[in-house]
Amino acid sequence: MTESALRLRGLRKTFPKVVAVAGVDLDVARGEVFGLLGPNGAGKTTTLEVIEGLTEADAGEIEILGLTWAQNGREIRSRIGVQLQSTSLFNKITPREALDLYGSYYPKRRSTEELLKLVQLEEKADAYHITLSGGQQQRLALAMALVNDPELVFLDEPTTGLDPQARRGLWDVVRRMKAEGRTVVLTTHYMDEAEALCDRLAIMDHGKVIATGTPASLIAELAIPSVVELTFEGNAPDPAAFEAALGLRVEPRADLWEIPTPDPKTLLPRLLEAAEAAAVPFQQVHIRRATLEDVFLHRTGRSLRE
Amino acid sequence: MLWRQFTMEWRLYSRDRVAMFWTMAFPVILLLGFGTIFRDSGGPTLSLVRVVTTTAGAQDAALDQALSDLHLKVLALPKTEAEARWARGETAAQLETDGTGYRLRLNSYLMAQAGATAGLVNQAWLVAQARLSGAPEPRRIPVQVESPGRKRSANYASFLLPGLLGLNLVSMGLFSVGMVNVSYREKGKFRRLAVTPLPKWIFLLGQVLHRLTVTVVQAAILLLVGYLVFGIANQGSFFELLLVMALGTGCFMAFGFALSGFAETSEGYAAISNLVFFPLMMLSGVYFTLDSAPAWLQRVVAGLPLAPFLKALRAVFNDGAGLAGHGLGLTIVAAWGLAAFFLAVKRFRWA
Repeated sequence: MTESALRLRGLRKTFPKVVAVAGVDLDVARGEVFGLLGPNGAGKTTTLEVIEGLTEADAGEIEILGLTWAQNGREIRSRIGVQLQSTSLFNKITPREALDLYGSYYPKRRSTEELLKLVQLEEKADAYHITLSGGQQQRLALAMALVNDPELVFLDEPTTGLDPQARRGLWDVVRRMKAEGRTVVLTTHYMDEAEALCDRLAIMDHGKVIATGTPASLIAELAIPSVVELTFEGNAPDPAAFEAALGLRVEPRADLWEIPTPDPKTLLPRLLEAAEAAAVPFQQVHIRRATLEDVFLHRTGRSLRE
Repeated sequence: MLWRQFTMEWRLYSRDRVAMFWTMAFPVILLLGFGTIFRDSGGPTLSLVRVVTTTAGAQDAALDQALSDLHLKVLALPKTEAEARWARGETAAQLETDGTGYRLRLNSYLMAQAGATAGLVNQAWLVAQARLSGAPEPRRIPVQVESPGRKRSANYASFLLPGLLGLNLVSMGLFSVGMVNVSYREKGKFRRLAVTPLPKWIFLLGQVLHRLTVTVVQAAILLLVGYLVFGIANQGSFFELLLVMALGTGCFMAFGFALSGFAETSEGYAAISNLVFFPLMMLSGVYFTLDSAPAWLQRVVAGLPLAPFLKALRAVFNDGAGLAGHGLGLTIVAAWGLAAFFLAVKRFRWA
């Protein structure tokens, strides 16, 4: 049975100059890793902050582990774990002290040793926070989010600004959380992260959820499982003339053209022929599987990274 | 929970050695520095330059004897040195022998001192003559030089010490409490705490208690140095001293909290707090009295919280007087404190 871990209905939040969350409905089941994917400014962080009780919503319902902020604020806080986008600590607190201190705020807590081991900070347990690397600080923030053995964990951009190796390390910790039976809700603007970690996703743009589903189903819904790319040296030329000749949509990117297709096998010979005829000065041809990036592109006409 | 929060604040605070050292040492350095520089400026003394002659007779001895009984500082100098000092304009009055009698030269630029000195010298001369002739000694009215309002401890260090105690409270409120609030909010430390079940008042109270104990330690060090180096001791009741200090602490801490609600960033707060701090410090009689300021300014300053607070503090600490007569002043302090408190509650933000 999949009791709901999180349920949002009609969530809205407007700031003086911008509508940050414009009516969001979400359902997250217990035990799943749920991702909010979207570009910067899509409203992911505001959505999380409203759920976490840091910001008050203008309208909408929030149910966390079957509880509401109005009635069970204290209980919600003691059962959720939160990693904020940037966790600011005292410069001269050590990871051990930080975990002890924050652990002391909760009725139920995990041992500091166990947490240090989980995020592989045993060697840095007594070093001042200011001396830790970005990845180590981020891992400490993750450990702090787990200090109360939470049922539901919120991670806001957990890997932003980390090098690839540190990112993999954090992914492992998130997978361990899932294995321990926790529900994880995370935001990211990395499509590879969303694909690698999330059981289900909501793609957000301009404060709205524009699609929900498993990564595989979202990609499958595109009905264009493949993309053929022509890369150029320098900037890609205007594809308008070639598009007409080919009879297919050609998306210009910085230094390449993308041609989404359900059937790359039959497209390819035709494409090369047309390119030859039009004397398109391309360098290389790639065929790749469609990704969440293409889903976003298809739905919004914009790239995730823009 | 509160205890844990409090001890953690102290532990982290004690790690920032440089900040801690300066917080504790700065007032002490000010006290030692200014207290030593102005050590002798207790009250104005009258001085007389006495030109020494080689042929001093019984008459000279009797006059010198009579002069030494008076509240007068006598500088005995040989003629050339005395003349040089006179030429520099440093001498107010100079007593010379001219063969048969005496002559008193008075400096027209220092007429107030010179005039008073002349009176005393003439008095001494009458006494000396009476003693020489065996006549009954004329009786004098006793003279005493005082600094009104600071009867028992007239030196500058003892004036400065309560001022520094007060200043500590102001800077603790404005800079420590206020600045910490703004930077915690700015850096999101409050937000990280807000997602935990820790009641916010425990966190704030832990912080307030920490600041309070820092202030107590600071005050204790300052009082101890004042006592050991300058021999300044509290003249009034310790209970009343504590009462005034507690009132001031509450008032200026509330100030810090209130002001922190008006700044978005640490830089913004630094500007706002300095805007409040410097006028308070310069105008409220921390370093010097405002007795010679225009009347309207004195009235304005009396309505600000620091001046009446320091007045009450000095009344207790320096003069050993009770708090009677400071009711209005302390009410002004309390009113500022309450106003700041309500403003703080209204403006306080966690994020």
